[in-house]
Amino acid sequence: MISNRAMEQGNSSERESRLDELFRAYRDACAIPEASPNFMPEIWARIEAREASTSWFGSVAKALVTAGLAASMILGMMVSSRNQSNAFFNATFVDAWSAEHVSTLEPLDIDRISYMEAQ
Amino acid sequence: MLVEFDLIQKAQQGDAGAFNQIVSAYRRRIMGTISHVIGRPEDVEDVAQEVFIRLYFSLGQLRTPEVFEPWLYRLTVNASYDYLRKSRRRVESRMADLSEQQVMMADAVAGSRAQTDETEKRRVRDTVQELLGTVSEEDRILLTLKEVEGLSLKELEKIYSVNENALKVRLFRARQRVLKKMKEVTGGSSGNAKQKEG
Repeated sequence: MISNRAMEQGNSSERESRLDELFRAYRDACAIPEASPNFMPEIWARIEAREASTSWFGSVAKALVTAGLAASMILGMMVSSRNQSNAFFNATFVDAWSAEHVSTLEPLDIDRISYMEAQ
Repeated sequence: MLVEFDLIQKAQQGDAGAFNQIVSAYRRRIMGTISHVIGRPEDVEDVAQEVFIRLYFSLGQLRTPEVFEPWLYRLTVNASYDYLRKSRRRVESRMADLSEQQVMMADAVAGSRAQTDETEKRRVRDTVQELLGTVSEEDRILLTLKEVEGLSLKELEKIYSVNENALKVRLFRARQRVLKKMKEVTGGSSGNAKQKEG
């Protein structure tokens, strides 16, 4: 039992050192590739492409915001005009009739009223 | 630091020449780290370019020179992580084809010493890649930076912005997982052989 445990510990530490060895060998086996002559030009090309796409997205976003503002203004105007129509429809018959015939009503004769009051 | 902070400041102000100098100074180091982390020489340059592009766009946020290198390492870690995540499926399929490739290579190795060395290096690379494939991409990068790149815990602490104890725990768990895989692949046979000898 004890010898098995000791053997397991021995195997474990052996594996640990083998793993360290393997990592060292891996470091040596991974040669660092030389950068191609196009390394820098390609970076700049990719930067410019990304900047162009960013500015394109920016202009699209601006256009969308402008369109949204215009749409909300139009909607606001429509809602307010609808409210005015609602006021017309909610009015009583007398209100609507008087509003319609306000120009044909007789002018108010103040003298006649005071004469009637005196009587 | 491989460059003066003045140069970084010039690059921050949009000086393309200064940015080119920074890239030239760090290119080899960054490519070396990426090479160790991703283990695919053919894709190293592409990932390195991505690192420097990210550097270009985020350079304006840098305020103090002390954090430049850990910050550049963090960009490298993030770009490598993105690459590993994207190419996970591709790597898995490559691993499936590995035995066939190895057999073909073994057949082909009849010639020069150089070829034998290259075969051996490839075998080491593939073995380590396979072992590292048992842990998550994050742990794989962390383990590579510690064990292969040889970064200290203090340096890793700056890169990851987490305390040393959390890093130790994470590294220990990742290493244990790799060791377990190693036992499955190779360790068991050597252990049995020793027992038989005993």
